[in-house]
Amino acid sequence: MQVEEANTTESLQMEILLDALPKESATDPTGLRLASLITNVSNKKVPVNSFSRIWTLGSLHARVTAGYLAYWLRSRLSDADKRQQLKSEAHLAAALKLFGTMGYMRGAVMKVGQMLANLPEVMPEEFAEVLSALHFEAPPMHFAMVREVFLDEFGREPEEVFASFDRQAFAAASLGQVHRAWLHSGEEVAVKIQYPGIARTIKADLRNLRLLLQPLCLTIDWQDTLAKLADIERMLLMETDYAQEAIFGKLARSAFTAADRVVVPQIYDEYSTGRVLTTEYLHGCHINDFLATDPGQGERDHFTHLLTVATYRLYYRLHWLPADPHPGNFIFMADGRLGLIDFGCTLTLSDEEWIFSNVAIQAALDRDLPGLNRAIARACRFDDPDDMEPDRLEVIRSGFYWFMEPWQQEGVFDFGDRDFFLRGIDNVIEATRKGYTRSLPMTLWSNRFTFGGRAFCYKLKGCCEFRKIFLQESTWTSTEADEKPLNSP
Amino acid sequence: MRISEQAKQETRVRILEKAAELFIGKGFEDSTTRDIALAAGLAAGTMFNYFPSKETLAMNMVGDAFRQGREDFKRRRSGKEGLTEELYLFVASGLRRLRPLRPFLGPVLERSLSPFPRKNICPEGETARLEHLAAVQEIIGRHGFAETPDYVAMTMYWSLYLGILACWSNDESPNQESSHALIDYSIRMFVQVISGVGSDKGEAHAS
Repeated sequence: MQVEEANTTESLQMEILLDALPKESATDPTGLRLASLITNVSNKKVPVNSFSRIWTLGSLHARVTAGYLAYWLRSRLSDADKRQQLKSEAHLAAALKLFGTMGYMRGAVMKVGQMLANLPEVMPEEFAEVLSALHFEAPPMHFAMVREVFLDEFGREPEEVFASFDRQAFAAASLGQVHRAWLHSGEEVAVKIQYPGIARTIKADLRNLRLLLQPLCLTIDWQDTLAKLADIERMLLMETDYAQEAIFGKLARSAFTAADRVVVPQIYDEYSTGRVLTTEYLHGCHINDFLATDPGQGERDHFTHLLTVATYRLYYRLHWLPADPHPGNFIFMADGRLGLIDFGCTLTLSDEEWIFSNVAIQAALDRDLPGLNRAIARACRFDDPDDMEPDRLEVIRSGFYWFMEPWQQEGVFDFGDRDFFLRGIDNVIEATRKGYTRSLPMTLWSNRFTFGGRAFCYKLKGCCEFRKIFLQESTWTSTEADEKPLNSP
Repeated sequence: MRISEQAKQETRVRILEKAAELFIGKGFEDSTTRDIALAAGLAAGTMFNYFPSKETLAMNMVGDAFRQGREDFKRRRSGKEGLTEELYLFVASGLRRLRPLRPFLGPVLERSLSPFPRKNICPEGETARLEHLAAVQEIIGRHGFAETPDYVAMTMYWSLYLGILACWSNDESPNQESSHALIDYSIRMFVQVISGVGSDKGEAHAS
């Protein structure tokens, strides 16, 4: 009976996921091909799947991700000649099996799956739906394993380190899971614990992924993909360093005051290590639960405002791209404050990247077309705009104009405007279909930052005075930059 | 003059300590019984009264560690664990106690716990195996299994466990963290075998 129920739930989940996945509008508008491929992958039992394992719930999602990846790869090959296509499909079949067995740690597989959404070939709005489903799945480590991590990290059991510690995790997080606990001094905290050995698994997974993508080496800019994968690996490995995340968390916390109504939880150093991160527990809900309360426009706008202030504060003051803006990282608090959690996937722009990033924005604001073209050429890894096909330049530039629309509009900007959002998506689709995906690895994260944030605000159906916020936040930088030498030690 | 039981015990402990230092410092293969006796301040002949061979000595250490591990496990068990989790706790508690011996454990375990037919069965190794399996059966018994698992299942368990020991004693990752997933995997597999759930009836290999 239970098995039947589980099967029904699984097929329901599968349907929801299938609905959420993007389809190829030209060759597969109904998604039939996608469905058959995913069913095929799901039913293909690799030995790993026949064990009910720690990542049981995750495995359905992992298989769907694998299926989707296959679909995506196929669609990339649709223009190739028949022989090449067959050859590539044979490669793909072999690679798919590999993907099924890829690393036994589903956590890493899922993370890699999510990161693939960074490659601009994948459509962000729909994929964001899938990703949000992935983030709150059942936690994979049982408590005995958590205890072993604690003994290794602190030399003591969780119940000894804390006054009280929940056996059950309440959320899955960056390559680990989060438990609720209470300090001896009474504070309620969230304790994030990393899966043992995850960094190695990530390296192994990425190695497998490069093999998996091998069929693409003739069809797209292979070196460019490799460079991006290397960047993804770098970021994922950075995410396994909770000590670094603690530093990010403290910096972010220092960027906001009570008046900002944005909260970054306090880090408890004495309860944190490279693999365990203890922070203040923020009470509140995630976006889906917030929307389920049928909030009024005022509330939606309020949180859109806070989210915009929060992300651009981090951008302008700390030169950060919060590159993992998935819905689980934002907490809607009952008192109207916005909580920001999880800074594992934060890209700190180098001085060169920071200047470059702002040159493009400034050129667009100044309507300096030659300057903007030069910046775009560089972002696309061309020496000069004249080296780019005119159509490529045009498509990428119109994407950038779309990005800049809120910056240029006086007054309120409506991020819930469907036309606006879809124009951005259409541009990505067009660029992808035409193969205009060559770009600096940094653009992976800036795209993720932009689309993640905009998809979130679109879902929220919120408005804010974006230009005013941008002017406020960017002005702060120049003033502060002038003052800095005086204050610096 | 009769040596008191206490003095005997102290000598035994001293020999084990010195042997452990030598095994860790020089390696198991390169440490001789003479070295150990010398370090413990004993005549070689006297030491043989305590431990007839180097293997016996090392397996005594292992046996002690296993016993301490079982004690730790009993203390740590909350009673809320499921079968898989409880077995994991049991195995992990044992490995934690074995950890100081890890640098020289590989050859010792290979000689004393080998599942292959041997002329000389190491009695300490055999004792360690039987005690370990008895503890596993006790755990299984707590989780609603009326019958003890049969010979095949327990042999399978022991094979998995030896695999874990082999991997763990060779695991260079910090705190042997790479082995944790293997332990968990192996235990889940065993639990599935004895529970008879989730059988794939061989279709996994049909295509």
